[in-house]
Amino acid sequence: MKKFLSVVLCFAMILSLTIGCTTQKNAGTGSSAEPQSGTGDKKVTVKLGIWPEDTLADDIKMHEGFVTELKTTHPNVEIVPSYYKYATDTFVSLAASNKLPTVFETWYTEPQKLIEGGFVADITDVLKEKHWPDQMNDSIKKLLSKDGRIYGIPRDGYALGLMLNVNMFKAAGLVDDKGYPIYPKTWDELAVTAQKIKQKTGEAGFCLLGKDNAAGWHFSNIAWDFGATLTKENNGKFTANINTPEAIAAMQYVKDLKWKYDCLTADPTKEDWASGFVNLGTGAAAMYIGANDAVNQPTQVNKLPTKDLALVPIPAGPKGQYSLSGGTPYMFAKNATKEEISAALDYIEIMGKSPMTSTNALKGMYADARSRVSKGVPVLPVFPAWTDPTFLEANAKITKENSNIDMKLYQDYFDAVKKPGNLHFEEVGSAQDLYSELTKVIQAVVTDKNTDIPKMMAAANTNYQKILDEKVNK
Amino acid sequence: MREKKSSSILHSISAWLIMLPGLILFAFFVWEPLLESIRLSLYTAKGIHLMDFVGLKNYIAVLQHPDFLPAIRNTFLYTFWSLIIGFLIPIIMATFITETVHMKSFFRVGVYFPNIMPGLATVMMWGYLFRPGKTGVFNILLSALGIQPFDWLASPAWTIPLIVLTMTWKSAGSTALIYMAGMGSINPELYEAATIDGATPWKRFLHISLPSIFGLGKTLLILQIISVFQILYEPLVMTNGGPNNASISVMQLVFRYAFEDYNYPMAASLSVIISIILVLLTAVYFKATKGKKPEYSTN
Repeated sequence: MKKFLSVVLCFAMILSLTIGCTTQKNAGTGSSAEPQSGTGDKKVTVKLGIWPEDTLADDIKMHEGFVTELKTTHPNVEIVPSYYKYATDTFVSLAASNKLPTVFETWYTEPQKLIEGGFVADITDVLKEKHWPDQMNDSIKKLLSKDGRIYGIPRDGYALGLMLNVNMFKAAGLVDDKGYPIYPKTWDELAVTAQKIKQKTGEAGFCLLGKDNAAGWHFSNIAWDFGATLTKENNGKFTANINTPEAIAAMQYVKDLKWKYDCLTADPTKEDWASGFVNLGTGAAAMYIGANDAVNQPTQVNKLPTKDLALVPIPAGPKGQYSLSGGTPYMFAKNATKEEISAALDYIEIMGKSPMTSTNALKGMYADARSRVSKGVPVLPVFPAWTDPTFLEANAKITKENSNIDMKLYQDYFDAVKKPGNLHFEEVGSAQDLYSELTKVIQAVVTDKNTDIPKMMAAANTNYQKILDEKVNK
Repeated sequence: MREKKSSSILHSISAWLIMLPGLILFAFFVWEPLLESIRLSLYTAKGIHLMDFVGLKNYIAVLQHPDFLPAIRNTFLYTFWSLIIGFLIPIIMATFITETVHMKSFFRVGVYFPNIMPGLATVMMWGYLFRPGKTGVFNILLSALGIQPFDWLASPAWTIPLIVLTMTWKSAGSTALIYMAGMGSINPELYEAATIDGATPWKRFLHISLPSIFGLGKTLLILQIISVFQILYEPLVMTNGGPNNASISVMQLVFRYAFEDYNYPMAASLSVIISIILVLLTAVYFKATKGKKPEYSTN
């Protein structure tokens, strides 16, 4: 009897296991069939990964307005809010299981990686039908393309500048008679200014990054100003060029910030992109390298009043002044159909993030500006991700009408980035690996007073060359 | 005879049936992924889709990567420091608590308490304690004593021992409980006899407790080596492998390949390399300690 019972129980367990597997299988096939069903009966379903997260009630309301607008011209399109925050640990599994939203926002570092991995859709044909490619900033288009095909569109363009906490400048007495900060124009001035601020306020004058690749990213901008070119390209072959007197001088400058001027936060190796904004926003650092598309970080996220934030040009080095620029992209799921991509682009147009100046697009730009004002985020002139003059003009008008800032705290930045030759795109080759190598050297120089910079830069150069040969110089 | 044979088949069928769910689960969740990752390590891939067979090319790329040697060196250093700091502490804790007469349960719960905390919360808490500059808790304590602030985790020479210290703080209690259970099962008569013979507490420990927990210690040692060898989130959160690769571990390198570069074949290759090292270490260790189990010494 006992034996019989055990056999029955075993069967029951196996059966339940099998049923478990079967159910999962059904669920899997059901969901992957979903996109096709949308196109079959002309109904198009767009999963919007760019929908705001649940806690942002005002933003959701704004997007609900966009959906209503879209419905008037696209009655067959169903919009499914599907908030997705790009994260490297979830992305591949979502992409491989066809669960990615139709359109999503990713980081400026990712497009080439995502294109290479075959995770995103080629949207060239749909864009051409809408005549958008001609209006896209050429350099940004290059970032989002491979072999002449385009895989994304820019949400915003950005260029690095120097963000200031105006309050801390006031506390250190570094303001002119009208109360505007006397900001550093060169890297040498930055070191002296930062030192003064630290001596006067006890808080860091400058926040240098050292935790992850963002450190190398910022450093590349400093290095250009010192005359360095960190990667060289010749007939499609890339050569590491880290071990040069210019790059070494730039690294020596970083070392001096720590050991000669002692003007940094307590441990730069703990600082990353986000913590830099925390320091700036909360008054733990007076200066930080930041871009126009991240002004919500110190203000909305870290509660710095808009009047206390200034964005000024990146300081100049002995060999020039460059601003690293790029674009935050929208990209599209690999399995999205042409109709879905087209509908998603139309939605983006209504959001006012396309080069179009239709009534709906203008309404979208206006709504976006109002939303920024209500959240305490500076409303800034658009950065030229799209080059259509009508679009730029319309955008400038809306920005002016909704301005919530003293433009004098930003004007020099916008003047600087308009100068010919100021904008500088990321290093070619394998930028993330370059940053990784540079970050290691930065970590060494800020933690060890006796670091031998030329030796470390030579090692970084050898390492980076090895990676270039392995990855790109095939 | 026939009846006997059919009864043995019936007997073994029920045994197989009992094992079957376990076997299926193992096959699905352990063996299949294991074999699949070996296969993945021999191919190129687009995302997780295999493309071309490339033999050992991924292994060569992993071995030639500039971060490989620092990661391997550090991982051995983590293991070394965890044995120096982390192996003896649970034994000492267990011995003291076993010898304690009053409030034994209080101490047992006390040592186990850090183990209840989620791992990430632990490392973040220690991150605050180790913060350099004047705002770190330890530096505040040091400044009260008139000592200059210390760099803690930002000092390359100290990073690994300090990370191992936080790991020991978290997990020593649970290991101590296992030793306590081992010590609790020793026949008290042995201690009584030893006491009558005039053995000091140290001699009792040396000749009774220690030999009794030797087998346990051997198993826990190898488990500790295996687990520390796979250290990931502590350096990831506390130092991100820095400064200048001073604390990067091989598992963090796997994490970078897989989740930052989306280079799954290289991640798989490095995982296979880690497995081979661990299998070798375990084999060498068991070979070296085979037949060396000490007998109870009563004199």
